[in-house]
Amino acid sequence: MKAIFHVGAAHPWADAFAGVPWALLPIANRPLLDYWLETCAEQGIDHVQIILGDGADQIESFAGDGTRWGIRIQYGFARVGERPLDYVRQSHERRDDGLLFVGGPFFLRRRKAFHAGGFQILEACRFNHADETWFLFGKTAVEVETLLAGDAGSSRGLEQIHIHPFPIDRMAAYYDLNMKMVRGEFSRYLTAGYGMADGSSVGYNVLTPPSALLRAPIIIGNDCRIGAMSTVGPNAVIADHVIVDSHSELSNCIILQDTYIGQNLEIHRKIIFGRRLIDPDDGTVVEIDDSWVVARNRPDMRTEDFIRYCILWFLALGVSLVQVLPFLILYPLVRITRIGAYRRQLFHDPKTGYIGLPVFQKIENRRSVVYTLFRAAALDRFPWLVLALRGRLFVCGQPPMRHPQDDDIITQLTHYYPAVFSYSDYNKDNDRLADALWYVHVRSLFEDVKILIKSLLHRFFRAGR
Amino acid sequence: MVVTCSKEHGIGVIQVGKSLTSATTDAFREQFSKWQSVEPDVKNYVIDLKQVDFMDSAGLGTLIAVLKCVTEAGGDMKIACLQKKPRMVFEITRAYKVFEIYDTVDEALKMFN
Repeated sequence: MKAIFHVGAAHPWADAFAGVPWALLPIANRPLLDYWLETCAEQGIDHVQIILGDGADQIESFAGDGTRWGIRIQYGFARVGERPLDYVRQSHERRDDGLLFVGGPFFLRRRKAFHAGGFQILEACRFNHADETWFLFGKTAVEVETLLAGDAGSSRGLEQIHIHPFPIDRMAAYYDLNMKMVRGEFSRYLTAGYGMADGSSVGYNVLTPPSALLRAPIIIGNDCRIGAMSTVGPNAVIADHVIVDSHSELSNCIILQDTYIGQNLEIHRKIIFGRRLIDPDDGTVVEIDDSWVVARNRPDMRTEDFIRYCILWFLALGVSLVQVLPFLILYPLVRITRIGAYRRQLFHDPKTGYIGLPVFQKIENRRSVVYTLFRAAALDRFPWLVLALRGRLFVCGQPPMRHPQDDDIITQLTHYYPAVFSYSDYNKDNDRLADALWYVHVRSLFEDVKILIKSLLHRFFRAGR
Repeated sequence: MVVTCSKEHGIGVIQVGKSLTSATTDAFREQFSKWQSVEPDVKNYVIDLKQVDFMDSAGLGTLIAVLKCVTEAGGDMKIACLQKKPRMVFEITRAYKVFEIYDTVDEALKMFN
């Protein structure tokens, strides 16, 4: 059997999520398309044709060749003015062994744990919505032809295998479906992260201070940071890479990926996507221009970045001029006493892919005044500062990511600023990925100067301990 | 920025036009202060936001500043006809806890009586 997923038709309610095609909109933190492909994998449908429209590159980037699901995916493009079912009518060769067709934002909502027989026992059926066929299933070419000719198919439809057809035809339906999932239905599907007994799911690398309150049921994606004194839940769906600042309350809401929620906000019965605030009841969209309220987590600030870079370069020049003489005196002593030395290690580089950086390492574990002075003056970072002056590193930013140890982190960063000094210089317990994402959001001249001063002071007072 | 000020039963009714954002807040404050100086006996105000279809944090901050100014002078301020989009901003920033909000200007005026 083969499957055809037509995701090329536009649906006005999904325009509020400009930039994300509706097939990739998350349902309980997984794209809608992911559920369809999971169904194919479960039912032994190994060949899928996806018909693309707007956002084709994103869908292709997400689904790839289907290896993730153990299936084979091919792509085609919708013609202008073509209705989804027209494509199926014109492609006879694809329905010889039966066909599963989905032609709209349609969720196969499981009413209970999926029946092992699944589509093997499902009779030929179709589901129409607003004069369009959104779902069609036939096990043989004859069944498919009959349905395409206008036959309604089995009266039981998908309910025969305990699937409730859920068309997502407006914003309220999208919100409603997510709320249904967070209230307890998502356990019927494959989920990412840790599942709790109270019906919650928390993804990987989620930082929550003790003062933050998580009230079940909630779904939290990967790499999120919840601020102090914040309350998340009940009934909150938080996607990946979301930052919730302190004293905010989130309930009955959907926060899409890469969103920053500011301090002391009350998000109730809302959908937030970057700086867009959406009312799920009528789809009203408000664009918030104040980045301290809500914002996209990965802003593009090229001018600010350039100004910041220039000012920091002069600061680095000042620090390195102060360090050059102590370095020339102390480093030979460090080598003579054999207390430490530089070792070249491979790091990720945003321009060239990889870069070898000299990393100072202690060779012998014994006390040494020379070593203490060397560390206290941050002279171990002198070669990195020289590289920063040559434009190979940033002065303040994210810690350089090692290859291959930090390859996973690199894949999740769209902005990478390998720097001489970073949060990890004065707070070693923090998670590197969360810190890196946080820096991308809060990066500014003030933040960089803060990192520089705190790093230097921390080294000065903690050296030798 | 058009701010229309009138007096009904001794209460100032301030009708704000279009949007209340960082680009228009200065004009709003200026025109409001000017009218206050002309009508010094008016202590209570109703801010009619019927025509305001967008408001940002600067607009919200201005309304809070005006409320502070009015209450310090011994009066009170209420908001009327808050539209859908500004209402959403009020909701997420908890500003609805700071202001008394009414559906119509008449309702707000009645509450003063």
